[in-house]
Formats: sequence, structure tokens, C-alpha cells
Amino acid sequence: MEKVVQVTRVYPATIAQVWATWTEPELIKRWWGPALFTCPQARIDFREGGVSLVAMQAPEQMGNVVFYSIWEYKKIIPQQRIELIQNLADSAGNKMKPVQLNMPADFPEDVLTVITFKDLGNGKTELTVTEHADFGQMSHFAQLGLEQSLDKMGSIW
Amino acid sequence: MEIRRDVFQAIADPTRREIIHLLSRQSLNLNAIADNFQVSRQAISLHIKILVECGLIVIRKQGRERYCEPHFEPLNQVADWVDQYKNFWEGRLDKIGLLLQEMQKKGQKGNKDN
Repeated sequence: MEKVVQVTRVYPATIAQVWATWTEPELIKRWWGPALFTCPQARIDFREGGVSLVAMQAPEQMGNVVFYSIWEYKKIIPQQRIELIQNLADSAGNKMKPVQLNMPADFPEDVLTVITFKDLGNGKTELTVTEHADFGQMSHFAQLGLEQSLDKMGSIW
Repeated sequence: MEIRRDVFQAIADPTRREIIHLLSRQSLNLNAIADNFQVSRQAISLHIKILVECGLIVIRKQGRERYCEPHFEPLNQVADWVDQYKNFWEGRLDKIGLLLQEMQKKGQKGNKDN
């Protein structure tokens, strides 16, 4: 069962500026990765069929470990939409299975990621990132938990 | 009830996952559950014991019958696990916001007339 992770923001910036944060290597390096992580490398090949290699480096207290991801661009509509597939990789950009990197077996692979850019007028742009990830069994049970909580409000089996 | 086991461990086993599915439709007694499986009643009994220890099943006595009732709130822990991926992206989009602010300040510095 597919789990969709979706986050959205409205920025006081033009579409061109927001678009650039996804296409310019020097800008991508400024945001890719969680807090405290740095992005030491962003080798970007921004075109349909192209594959970008991005790295995130853990802080010293986490051993300075570097994690690589590849983004394979499936569809690009300039200034509007980017569809890419995310995967974990090695430093050469070869796709890796999560277990090879000591990730849990349910860590998602081939994550279809859709990024959309919408002009809201008044110099504002809405950015939405949607990850379509198959979390295996996990998302189904997450759903059951949610349904049970709602059911407690009074349905009779 | 004291939860002595991990919810993820509870759902890791396929038979236990199937028991949860059966109970999501209705409460069942032990025999009714066991009838759905090839394995012995003892084996099912052990799976149910684990699910009870994880807080996912509560046994309700009704006369001589013991019904297994689903209490699936602990499964919300699983939802939280999945949510961490959402948190990754929230963080990145925050960073993009800060980056855009910086880009605009630099743009203003070099470009009075625009």
C-alpha cells in the first residue's frame, strides 16, 4: 500500500528563483539533507533521463558518514513540475539496496518524488513535494491504527 | 496493561498480521481465530499472547467465552515511524525558504535599479 508524504510551502519568491533551488548545484548543496548535515556534493544532470548524484554528510558526532542518493529525472516541465525517482546509492552513483547500507528492510526504494511549482501571484510561489513511497507493511498498519482511533468514536462492529 | 514488547515486532510476523486483519472486522474468540489457520491452536495461542503483550489485543470474557478485541492505537507508533520521512522534507523546505531569503538579499545588494 502506497504512502504519500506531502509537504508544501509558500515562499515570497518568484517561480524562477524557487526553480533554481532545484536545478543549480550550488543552491541544492545549501538545502539537501537534514539539520546538522552538510551536502558536500551535488553532481547535477538536470534533464529527462538524466541522473543527479547528491550526498549528505552526517555531523562529527554521527561519524561524518556520507550518504549518497541518486535522482533520476523522469519528467520535467520547466518552471512547473519535476518528477524524479530517488534511490540510495554508492559514491559512484550506483543504485544500492537499503539493506546494503544497513537500513531497515522496509526503507523505501524507487521513491517517485513529484515537485510542483505554482505561481500564486503577488510575487509568491507555492512549492509542493510529494513522495510516493511503498513503506511495505508499515503504511497499512499505520492506517489501521488511525482507523481504530476514529472507530472509537462510536461505530459498532 | 503493561506493554512488554515492541509493536513492530508484533506486526513482523505474517500470522500475527493476519490475526490483526481478522480482528479489524470483528472480535473473535480463540477457536474462531484458530480456524482460519493451518497451524496448531497452541501456536495461535502464542501469537495472541504476544499481541496481548504489545497491547494490540485485549481479552474480554463473556460467560465461558474469551473474545479477542482489537485495540489498535499502539499501531500509531508505526504511523509516527512513517511520519519521520515527512519531517525530513519539512526540514529541507525550511532550508529552501532561508536560502531564498538570502538569494533575494544578495539580488538587492547588486541591483538597485532592477
